[in-house]
Amino acid sequence: CPLLQTHTFLSSLSLLNQTPRRRERAPERDSEMGNRSKSSRKGKKAWRANISTEDIEDFFEKSTKDALSGGNLSAAPSEDLFHVDKSHDIPVKWKIEKHREKVLRCDSVLKKNPFVQVVSSSKPKSKISKKNTNVVESKTLKQAQKNVDDGSVMTDLWGDDDDDNNGEHEKNPRKIWKMTSTIPAVEVDPAGCSYNPTAESHEDMLAEAVAQEMQKVYKAELGPEPVPLTIDGEANIEDEAGLLSVCNRIINGKSAYFLGVDNGSEGEEEADAENESSEAGNKKLARTTKRVTRVVLNKRSRQKALRKMETKEKLKEKLSKEIDSLPKILKEIAKDDKEKQNKLIRKKIAKEEVLKIRPPRLGKHKYEAPPVQVLLTEEMTGSLRKLKACCTLARDRFKSLEKRGILVPSKNIRRSLYRALDKKKYLLILGKPFGATSDKPICHFPEKCAESALKFLFRCSVVAASKYKISNYEDFMWVTKDELLAFFPEHAEFFNNTIVS
Amino acid sequence: MPKHYRPAGKKKEGNAARYMTRSQALKSLQVNLNLFRRLCIVKGIFPREPKKKVKGNHHTYYHVKDISFLQHEPLLEKFREIKTYQKKVQKAKAKKNEELARLLLTRQPTYKLDRLIRERYPTFIDALRDLDDCLTMVHLFAVLPASDRENLEVKRVHNCRRLSHEWQAYISRTHALRKVFVSVKGIYYQAELEGQKITWLTPHAIQQVFTNDVDFGVLLTFLEFYETLLAFTNFKLYHSLNVKYPPILDSRLEALAADLYALSRYIDASSRGMTVEPKVDASSSSQSNDRAESELRLAQLQHQLPSSEPGALMHLVADKEVEEDEETRACKSLFKDLKFFLSREVPRESLLFVLPAFGGTVSWEGEGAPFKEDDESITHHIIDKPSAGHMYLSREYVQPQWIYDCVNARIILPTEKYLVGSRIPPPHLSPFVDNEAEGYVPDYAETIKRLQAAARNDVLPLPGVGKEDLEDPQNLLYAGFMSRTEEIEAAENKKTMAEREKQYHEELKKELKKEVTGSVVDDVAAPVVEEGEGEESSVPDAAQIAQDTADMPTLMMSRKKRKLYDAMKIGQKKKSESVERIKQRKKNLKADQ
Repeated sequence: CPLLQTHTFLSSLSLLNQTPRRRERAPERDSEMGNRSKSSRKGKKAWRANISTEDIEDFFEKSTKDALSGGNLSAAPSEDLFHVDKSHDIPVKWKIEKHREKVLRCDSVLKKNPFVQVVSSSKPKSKISKKNTNVVESKTLKQAQKNVDDGSVMTDLWGDDDDDNNGEHEKNPRKIWKMTSTIPAVEVDPAGCSYNPTAESHEDMLAEAVAQEMQKVYKAELGPEPVPLTIDGEANIEDEAGLLSVCNRIINGKSAYFLGVDNGSEGEEEADAENESSEAGNKKLARTTKRVTRVVLNKRSRQKALRKMETKEKLKEKLSKEIDSLPKILKEIAKDDKEKQNKLIRKKIAKEEVLKIRPPRLGKHKYEAPPVQVLLTEEMTGSLRKLKACCTLARDRFKSLEKRGILVPSKNIRRSLYRALDKKKYLLILGKPFGATSDKPICHFPEKCAESALKFLFRCSVVAASKYKISNYEDFMWVTKDELLAFFPEHAEFFNNTIVS
Repeated sequence: MPKHYRPAGKKKEGNAARYMTRSQALKSLQVNLNLFRRLCIVKGIFPREPKKKVKGNHHTYYHVKDISFLQHEPLLEKFREIKTYQKKVQKAKAKKNEELARLLLTRQPTYKLDRLIRERYPTFIDALRDLDDCLTMVHLFAVLPASDRENLEVKRVHNCRRLSHEWQAYISRTHALRKVFVSVKGIYYQAELEGQKITWLTPHAIQQVFTNDVDFGVLLTFLEFYETLLAFTNFKLYHSLNVKYPPILDSRLEALAADLYALSRYIDASSRGMTVEPKVDASSSSQSNDRAESELRLAQLQHQLPSSEPGALMHLVADKEVEEDEETRACKSLFKDLKFFLSREVPRESLLFVLPAFGGTVSWEGEGAPFKEDDESITHHIIDKPSAGHMYLSREYVQPQWIYDCVNARIILPTEKYLVGSRIPPPHLSPFVDNEAEGYVPDYAETIKRLQAAARNDVLPLPGVGKEDLEDPQNLLYAGFMSRTEEIEAAENKKTMAEREKQYHEELKKELKKEVTGSVVDDVAAPVVEEGEGEESSVPDAAQIAQDTADMPTLMMSRKKRKLYDAMKIGQKKKSESVERIKQRKKNLKADQ
C-alpha cells in the first residue's frame, strides 16, 4: 500500500537526517543519564510514555520548512549555493604590465631625450636563472651546430671555456679533484732497466733486485716458525680409525707445540713452593733469638732520631745546591725542548720522504713494492725481437694505483683457481666405494667425481656437506693438498698434474 | 647526514666526526660495495689516512665530506635505476618470458661520464696534465685479448685500439714526441703538448696476459672513465687541427691492421681539404652541410689516390696551423729526407708512430703499404735478424734501436755500430736520466754529445739548403742566420773574454813583480833570482788567499746555515763517492774482460 511505503520512506529519511542531530544532542542525553542515575528509576521518567519524540517532530518541522523555502540546502550543489567574487581581482597579466609600466621619473626624463640611453635604475633580480638559461641555450645551439657539421654526437667539453668567460667563476673554475699523492702516475724506470743497458747501470739495478729478494729471505728466516702441517710418524690409514687417529695426531702435535709454554709455568710453581718452605724455617729460627731489652730499645730510638736529623740536613743542603744551579737546570730544559722540536721536524720530514716512496697505510694490508723489472745478465741479447716477456703491464698499472693511494692494497685480490686449490681442503670419505668388490672400507673421493678429479676438487667445498649424506659413510675428513699427496703417494703425479700449483 | 641532526653518541668534532670507515660509508649511501668502488673511481674519491684511526688500524677511512659529495651525485640515482631495471629483466627471464626480456634489454637505461670529466677537469690543461695514467691504461687494454671471464669485450678492446691510434696519429702529426725509452717493461714515450709533458708507457708487442694477482674489474672501471676522457681529449685536439673527430678511415687499410697509417692519411687529407676548401666554396653557398659533404668526398678522393706516393701527399699539405717552436722544428726535420722500410720482425706499431713523428716516411712489409721493399729510394731498412736475405746496396740495414737512439739524441747517428749481423748494438740510454744531476756520464752518452756538437757545427753554416722548398723558407733562413750569428757572437765574446782575462793576469803579474822589486830595492844585483823568489813567495800567498776566500762565506754564515752547508757538502761528497764507485766498478769490469 502506498501509505505504508511513504511512511517507511519518511522514516528512513528521518533516520538519515537524525544522525547529525543525535550527535548534537548527545551531551544533553548524557546529562539526563547522569540525572537519572542519581534519582530512582522507578519514577515517571522511566516510563515508555515519557520517551521524547522530539527528533521526529523536529524532522517534520524542518521538512515543512524546507518545502516552504524551496528545497533542502544541504542537498543542493555548492555551485548553486556559492559563487566566487571576482570583481576585486586584478588579472595576473595586468599585474605584471602594471609593474612594467611604472616608469621612474628620472627614467622618463631621460627618455625624452632620444640620444641618452636609459640605464635602468635597478638590476633585474633573476640574473642567475637568466644566465643559466642562456648557457643552456648556447650549449644546445653549439651542440646543434657541431652535430650538423660533424655528424657525430660528441661535443667539445672544454669548448665554451674561451667563449663565455663571464665572471671569474667560469674563468677560474675550482678544481674539485685533487691528486692523492706526489708520486707520478707513470714512473720512468731507471736507466738500468733498459732492454740493452750499460753495464754499470745494469749492475746497479741488479744489485737492487737482489737486495729486494734477500730482504724477503731474511724476513722469512727471522720470523717465527709456522706450525707444522704434518707430523712425522707412521700413519696407519688402513686401520679403521686411521683417519681419526691422524687427525688426533695433528691436533696433539699442535698442542704439543704449545705445551712448551705450560711447562715453564709449572716450573715456576715449584720454585714458589720451595721459597715458602724456606720462609717457614726462618720463622722457627726467629723464635729462638734473644728478647730485646730496654737499653737496646733506647739505643735504637736515639739512633733513629739522629738519622732523621741527618737526612733533614742533607735535604736542606741538596735544596740549596739545586737553587744555586737553577740557571743550569733552565739551560737543560731549553736543550730538551730544542731536541724535542728537532725530533718533531725530523719525524715530519721523514714522513714526507716516506710518502714519496709508498702510500700511507690505508687498509688492513701494507703496500708491497713490485719487484724491479730488470734483465738478468744472460737474458741480455741486445735485440728487441728476442726480448724476454717478463711481465704484463696490467700488474704494473695495478701496483701503481696502489702506490698512489688510489686503491687500498689487499692480500687476496681475487679468488683464483690457484688459490682455491691450494688453500681449500678436499673431502675424503672412508666407506665402501661404488662397485667395490671387497667389504673393507676404503678411503676415497666421493663418487661421480673420481673420474674427473679436477672438477670435483673445484666443487667439493660447496657440495659436500649437503649432497653427500655423511651418514652413509663411516668417516670423512677434509684434507689439504699436501695431506692429499701424503695419503695417495701412488697418485701423486696425477694430482700434481691436475692440481695447479 | 644533515647538519642539524646528530644522533646520540655521535661525535661533534675531531677525527671521529670527520672520518668514517668504508662500511659506514656504504651504509650511509645505501649502496653495495661494488657500486661504491665504481662511484669512487669515476668520481675521483679515494681513501684517506686520518691522524687518529678511531675504529682501528685495519679499516679504510673516507672523509665525511667526500661521502656527502658522493651522496649528491646524480650518477648514484642512475645506477640505482639501472639496478632496478636489471631486476625487471631478471624477473622476465625467470618467468620464461623471453620476448619481454629481450624487449627490456633493448631499452636499457645507460649513463654517461661527460659531466664527471668536465667536473674533474674544468680546463683542457687539467685534462692534459692527468693524461699519463689514462694513456698507459688505454694502450695496455688495446693489446689485451678479449676475455669472457674478465668481462672484457671485443668492442672495448677495439675502442681502446682506436683511441690509442688516434692519439698517436695526432702526436706524430704535430711532431710533439720528445723522448722514447725502450725498457724491459715496455716503451716509454714523452710528448709535449701545450707546455705539458705527457709520459706514457706502452707494452711490448709480446702477448699480454691476464694475471691472477690483478683485479681486472677495478682496472676496467678505470678504463671506462679513461676511454671517455681520451675520446674528448682527442676530439678537442683533432678540432684544433681542423679535422673532424670520429675519423672515417679507409676500410681496406683498417682491415689490414694499418690503422695508424690510415689515420695519418686521413688527417692529412682532411686538413688539406680544409685549407683548400675556402677557394672551392667561396662562390657557392657555404652551408655547413654542403661543406661537410664536399669534404667527405674530398677525403674519399684522397683515399682513392694511388697509394704509391704518400710522401708526396704529405708534402702537399701546407703547415700553417701552428706556430712551431724550435724544438718541434728540430723534431720535424730529423728524418726529413730519409725513407724507411720495416721488416716483418721489428715492432711495427711503435716505429710507425715514431718515424713519422720525426719527419720520416715509412713503409712496411705487407699489403696496403705505401711503397714496396724494392723501392730504390729507400735509404734505411730496419731489420732485427742476424742477416738479411737479399741486400740492396743503396740502403743501410740497421737495427731498430738506431731509430730510438737517433730520436733521443736528435741527430742522425752513424750506423756502423747498429748494422745488422754485427754484435750487440751500443747500450740504449735512458733519455729521462739527467746525466749532469746524476754526476755520472756513461761512455756512449759522451760520444753522442761529441757527435751532437759536431753536427751542430756541420749543420749551421748551411741553413735550409735542402729544406727551402718545403718549409717556409724565409722564416727558416732567418732563424738559421739568427742562430748562426748568435753562435758567432758568442764565440767572439768568449774569445775577447779570454783575451781580457789573459791581459788582466799579465797585469797582475807585473804588479806583483813591481811590488817585489820595490820591497827589495837594494838587491838589484840579482834580479833573476829575485824574480824566481818573488814568484815562489807569491804562490803560497795566492793559495792562502784562495782558501780564505773559500772560508769567508762559511765564516760569515750563521751557525744554522753553516750546518746546512756542511750537510750539503756531505751529500755532494756521497754522490761523488757513488760516482767513483761506479767508475771503479766499470774499471773492474773492463779488467775482467
